[in-house]
Amino acid sequence: MRLSLYVPGDTWVHRLDPMTKLLMTVVGIGLTFLLPSLQGGTLLLVLLLAVLGSAGVLHRAAAVYVGVAIVAGTFLVVQGLVYPGNAVPALTLGPIVFYREGLLVGLRLALRLYNILSATLILVLVTHPSDLVEAVVRRGASPRLGYVIMAVLQVIPTMMATASTIMDAQRSRGLETEGSLWVRLKAFVPVMGPLVTGSLIATEERALALEVRGFSGEGRPTFLKEEVIPPYATAARLVTVAALAAGIAGRWLLGW
Amino acid sequence: MAVIEVENLRYRYPRQERLALDGITFTVEPGEFIGVIGPNLAGKSTLCQALVGLVPHFYKGAIGGQVRVAGLDVHRSTVAEVSRRAGLVFQNPFTQISGAKLTVYEEVAFGLEHAGVPREEMRRRIDEALRLLGLEAVKDQSPFALSGGQMQRLAIASVLAMEPEVLILDEPTSQLDPAGTEEVFEAVTALCRRGMAVVMAEHKVDRLAEHADRILVLHQGRQIAYGPPRQVFARENVAALGVAVPAVTQAAKALGWVLEDGTYPVTLAEAVAVGQARRGGR
Repeated sequence: MRLSLYVPGDTWVHRLDPMTKLLMTVVGIGLTFLLPSLQGGTLLLVLLLAVLGSAGVLHRAAAVYVGVAIVAGTFLVVQGLVYPGNAVPALTLGPIVFYREGLLVGLRLALRLYNILSATLILVLVTHPSDLVEAVVRRGASPRLGYVIMAVLQVIPTMMATASTIMDAQRSRGLETEGSLWVRLKAFVPVMGPLVTGSLIATEERALALEVRGFSGEGRPTFLKEEVIPPYATAARLVTVAALAAGIAGRWLLGW
Repeated sequence: MAVIEVENLRYRYPRQERLALDGITFTVEPGEFIGVIGPNLAGKSTLCQALVGLVPHFYKGAIGGQVRVAGLDVHRSTVAEVSRRAGLVFQNPFTQISGAKLTVYEEVAFGLEHAGVPREEMRRRIDEALRLLGLEAVKDQSPFALSGGQMQRLAIASVLAMEPEVLILDEPTSQLDPAGTEEVFEAVTALCRRGMAVVMAEHKVDRLAEHADRILVLHQGRQIAYGPPRQVFARENVAALGVAVPAVTQAAKALGWVLEDGTYPVTLAEAVAVGQARRGGR
């Protein structure tokens, strides 16, 4: 089991260095707020989907899109019904009337949601967490912060396995863990108690083990892996920054 | 010249009245394998941690006496400084995995990266450590996918890659099956042959009797005996204090099988030799 959503691959997006992909994500999120119009938001979504599509991860992105569809749908319903500027009825379902103005506002909000999500997925689906953390530490971030991020991602699945073992152990001693809400609540303490205690003990042991491996030493770390930045990364960064500049210009000069 | 010098070491944990270590004195030469034995709460783990400075730097408390490891005064050095000369392997292999690396190879690199070791040197040391511990075949696997024995060997490899002069192991086989235990003892014995000083706290006295050059016996924080296994296990006060004695030695004592120097056999090979000599003498 793994917590990362990373999809392995060998596309041009996969080969890009993490910092370029981080830039693409940040610019994508920035453009989401710079381009509030329906046309601007749609254009941005198309661009982001093109990047995700060329990375071969649209199928994984689709699963995430479906997951947040209920939120996007809520935007449409709520704004379509109660947006203060509602004037022109667009759809009538019995006594319920959806208005054009509210539906457009809801659509813009939903677009914004999907744009933020898509920009983030460039980082999440196509960049391995360890590569991203290492790239950030290389540029001066604290190795301790990098360690915490990676250790959490790695250790949570093993904690879940431990919880499962504790659950089995408690069940074998007659504890009921299935059934009504009350039965489950009663089982919570006998399961969580050993899990939390065990985790605290393991944390101290791991802290000691890290200490004797020189983790708290002074000085900047070196890295086992060489950082590979493909030749086209510069072009990708320039295009990304140009897109941001175009967004700013379009917003302030052309009123997009 | 001794690589470990411990003189009159006394230590008390914070908010405790009893001394966890009381008057410990011994020296270890390069290439020596020292076994530390004693019942629970004897001070074995505390001693191991005192040799790398976790006691008192991490646990605090009151300390007296002197500990010098590979030329460093441990009480006056940081744990990070000591860790470059002395490695410590703990009993739980699972909690020694950093949790931040995806493969066995990268896991061994963890300490080296933080020590600022250049990449080429890092690769040389990792390859060497994996070869010595027999982990080359699993170098691309996740550390969490290893067996207990493999995981403990990975912990040793990670410490070994730091190229310490001293290796300290705190009950490294307590959670391992016989095969895993044998793997660890074989790896450690091989390191001793290469000149590394090893101190291992362990309950499996039969194995220690076979591999260790000297045995340090602790009881309630005090040093009861320190010497070659045969001399130590021959002493009546060792067994009387509840310290485990090799099964072979117990059987030899019961049968009255004595070696030429008046001590009892501590390994199966020695017992067999005595038995054959007695049969031949009839």
